[in-house]
Amino acid sequence: MKAELVCFWIAVGLYGVSTFSYIFGLIARQEKLFTVGLYGALAGFIPHTIAIGLRWSETGISPFISISESITLGTFMAVLIFLIFQFSTKKVRPLGVLVMPVVFVLIGWAGTLMKEIATTLAPALQSAWIWVHIIGASAGFGSVLVAAAFGLMYLLKERSSGGIANKLPELQTLDNLSYRFIAGGFIMYGLMIVSGAFWSNQVKGNYWNWDPVEVWSLISWLIYGIYLHLRITFGWRGRKLAWYALIALIAMIISYWGIPFSVETFHKGFRIEH
Amino acid sequence: MIRNIYKFLSSVKLAMALLVVILSCCVVGVTIYRGVEAGTHIFSTFWFNGLLVMLVVNVCFCFFPRILNRKLTLISLGMILFHLSFVAILGGIVFNSLFHFAGLIRLTEGETLPSGDLQSYDFAEQGRFFDIGKLRGDTTLIKMHVGHRVDGADKKVAYEISVGEGEAKKQGIIFITKHLEYRGFRYFCDREGYAVLIVLYDKMGRELYGGYYPLQSLRQEDGSYLYTTGTKDGPGSIAYPYDRPQPLFSLQVAYRPSKISERGGEAFFQVWPLTHEGERPEAKPLAEGKAALGEMFDAGDYYLSLKEVRYWTAMFVRYDPGLPIVLASLWVGFGGMVITFIGRMRRMRN
Repeated sequence: MKAELVCFWIAVGLYGVSTFSYIFGLIARQEKLFTVGLYGALAGFIPHTIAIGLRWSETGISPFISISESITLGTFMAVLIFLIFQFSTKKVRPLGVLVMPVVFVLIGWAGTLMKEIATTLAPALQSAWIWVHIIGASAGFGSVLVAAAFGLMYLLKERSSGGIANKLPELQTLDNLSYRFIAGGFIMYGLMIVSGAFWSNQVKGNYWNWDPVEVWSLISWLIYGIYLHLRITFGWRGRKLAWYALIALIAMIISYWGIPFSVETFHKGFRIEH
Repeated sequence: MIRNIYKFLSSVKLAMALLVVILSCCVVGVTIYRGVEAGTHIFSTFWFNGLLVMLVVNVCFCFFPRILNRKLTLISLGMILFHLSFVAILGGIVFNSLFHFAGLIRLTEGETLPSGDLQSYDFAEQGRFFDIGKLRGDTTLIKMHVGHRVDGADKKVAYEISVGEGEAKKQGIIFITKHLEYRGFRYFCDREGYAVLIVLYDKMGRELYGGYYPLQSLRQEDGSYLYTTGTKDGPGSIAYPYDRPQPLFSLQVAYRPSKISERGGEAFFQVWPLTHEGERPEAKPLAEGKAALGEMFDAGDYYLSLKEVRYWTAMFVRYDPGLPIVLASLWVGFGGMVITFIGRMRRMRN
């Protein structure tokens, strides 16, 4: 088995440990298990990073193109954002209850879809815009996943009292944190769309073509745009937005990895097999 | 009446309703309808574009009067820039739609076509105020390069082209991420195929006619390609010679490229008697068989030969004077989002 795959599956295993620690920690109300979960995530993040690095160094081609590579990067960014928040603030210990299971399921799915490393990069992808595009997309996903986790924390605190709920920050703080991460994700999705438009202009000469991938990215962006309008203009707060953040996450995962990769969309033009 | 219209257009509920409706249309456009159908039923329709225009009008009536009465802060500045970008994008789109040009020009290597003649394009569309006189000179495909590399990166194919007129003529190599610009017109790679030189001989072996015939590239179930005469929907025959008042027969040619030498290979010929308007009867062909490049194929009263293989390429020619407005507005909008975010974070911290 290749070193890259060994690292990848170790990361999946450690994220699994982290996931179950968080879930059992929540069920059994054992705060220590959250610590195990957090360090499990940190331990998994190391081989996760190495696996990406090994894949990259093998051919020198950025390993963020296929669906499994895209998911691997998205989950990498989500764990990175989660770990930075956790180690810098230590405010919301059960936050991984949503983040880590989502990461675990997605990265496990990526493992089943993994293919050999591409030996060449398609000419249309040989553009500097791809970097801005994928950073925007993956950081956007990481942000809205963490935002949804704050939404879940809000609902947990609102519904139960005592134990873990007592150790969570105030409802308003959770609500504000969710909003901040959604605003950050909204900006990152904006960056993804803008860079995608420039990339499309470079390759096809038009910035927007209502291509399914473009429309799905617009859907994600509009969903969070509506969230911001509901909060800022209509004054929504608390429970309604917490639910919104959770439901929007599902739509986001579908729009990011579900459908765009299942249809042939980008540049069908090459007609000769060279 | 005017007051009611203003009230309606400046409603924040209208803004939200429009966002939700546009979002719903987008979801339908990638689930129930897909691809061309989505364009026909949703994205290219008058009513959907009307919704987008309505959203921008709503931004003008609803957002700006409210925000401009407030004190200018980092947050309001960011929000102004963000919403202003929508207005500018719409302005850029409208301006572009009036003056733009888009055409697909298909050329075989060595072929030159007049750029200003719409007959040169497989497809062309232009804005109401586009001046066709802007398209000056000719467009020539000098050569198509296979395996083109730039700084070690494989660009697969590149087209060496020349555009324009007289001393202002511009020549360059374009590939998928690099276009050529000439007086505001941009030339983009789109697709390519084979064009075969089919020569007609009499039974004495004297050359009677020759012409290049572009072949369709049809993807097969196993992922390979069939290069043949016909349409994009499937193989078919052509009246041969197609540019003569009296074609001689109906011909289908398929080409199999050599795996060893570029532009080498063999051709498969099928010849039918010509019927009304060049249609091919369902009966058995008069002659069928294959011949390597340069060899003769016995087509009854004549010989046929695949004498040369060239490439044809299709290029998109675009003139979009509104494009800089749209692209700049995208960054303005993005900058607005970032400024608003920073402003709100600072306010929360305080």
